[in-house]
Amino acid sequence: MTPSALIEEADLHALVDGELDPERRRKVEDHLLQHPEDAALVEGWRRQNAALRAAFEPVALEPAPLSLREAAARPPAPPVGQGPIETGAIHWGRPGAAPRPMRKLDEIRASRRRQALASTLLTLVAGAAVAVAALLFLASRPPTQSPTLTRAATSYAARAGLTYATYILDARPVEIDAAHHDELLTWLQERVGFSRAPDLDGVGLRLLGGRVAPGVAAPAAFLIYQRDDGARVGLYFERAEAVAAPSGQRGQGVTVIEWRASGFAFVLVGALPPDAMQAAAEAAAAAVLTPPTESK
Amino acid sequence: MGRRADIIAGLGGATPALRRYARALCAGAGPAIADDLVQSALQSVGARIRSRELRPADLAEARIETYATLVALAEKKLGNAPGPAARHPPIVHGLAGLAFDERAVLLLVSLEGFGYDAAARIVGASRETALAQLMRARMALGAEGLRPVAPLESGRRAASHLRVVK
Repeated sequence: MTPSALIEEADLHALVDGELDPERRRKVEDHLLQHPEDAALVEGWRRQNAALRAAFEPVALEPAPLSLREAAARPPAPPVGQGPIETGAIHWGRPGAAPRPMRKLDEIRASRRRQALASTLLTLVAGAAVAVAALLFLASRPPTQSPTLTRAATSYAARAGLTYATYILDARPVEIDAAHHDELLTWLQERVGFSRAPDLDGVGLRLLGGRVAPGVAAPAAFLIYQRDDGARVGLYFERAEAVAAPSGQRGQGVTVIEWRASGFAFVLVGALPPDAMQAAAEAAAAAVLTPPTESK
Repeated sequence: MGRRADIIAGLGGATPALRRYARALCAGAGPAIADDLVQSALQSVGARIRSRELRPADLAEARIETYATLVALAEKKLGNAPGPAARHPPIVHGLAGLAFDERAVLLLVSLEGFGYDAAARIVGASRETALAQLMRARMALGAEGLRPVAPLESGRRAASHLRVVK
């Protein structure tokens, strides 16, 4: 590594991490054009980033376990076994416990009654507040226009996300690999009713293989593509009734792009940069529309 | 009151990212340990905000505080945690080979997308120290665990590729 006098190694890292202002960024990029060895370093770090995201992004897509829902809103569990348990009883026989005088017991009972009264009132008020909030919420909600359509649209993407999280890092991600291309297509045709594995070599994605997966309403197909650096992208499709415009959504670094064609819902899922995902989705959308004889 | 409650509720939305970070920070030590860390960090920060011990100005600051708590807890807890198994991908083995501080900073920047200042705040180091740790981590990780990066020819391709990928 021999960064020139003007460009230091820190600048190369800052370029990868988006910490440079536009002017400095241009300078560093010009430097890289003249110093392929530095460019290789930068590309290597970008591959590291992609590999890290590919390895751990599925964790963010999993539904969080019950113990983590609203964890911040709950108080930590009290440490067990500290302090005596207040029962209000007099522990005559307990060694080491000083017997409490009787008049103290009355005070304890009185304060306990006050606490009980206070907590009852608090519960009533909280209940009323919840009821009012629920009424306001129900009243303010606009009537949904076509519930089945929107539900289906979101659940194809959700199902694709789940399939992605399940298989993308599995030791056996695909059931039939790309070497048995014809066998894979025959299988998908039988079970899913559509058998085209779009050729995405043009955007640097090589077909790894595919499998049949549970869909929203019918068996779905899940194809996995891999980039040279190991980052993987999944293409999910399932027979759908309605025809809708393509839609894209992003969350937690994973891009999900959905579109409809030939009576099927297609969803492309992956942790690549959004523009790379967009290019892959466009290539796939074009490829599924070409007649089978012309495609690979 | 309202704002504190909003911030605490907002932290719930950060849970998926915190789980991702914790799982990577544990480097194959197991999902149960990672989720315990996330739970402890969220509960601790939630309790400190409620008791006004912590007064974050906004959700971003509360998020940084939660990551900081998670890192501090993980450092204590991961001392004798098991390493990654053979089934884990090479990158996880590479992570496990890094020093804890280096791994913490690398993942904050590379996986979670924090800027250098925020990452330094989270690990409680100066910006320079954090940057040095990031550099060491990348060098160490580049040498092992990943496919070696490209001789000259694909280095050239990489350079022309640079303007496309963000």
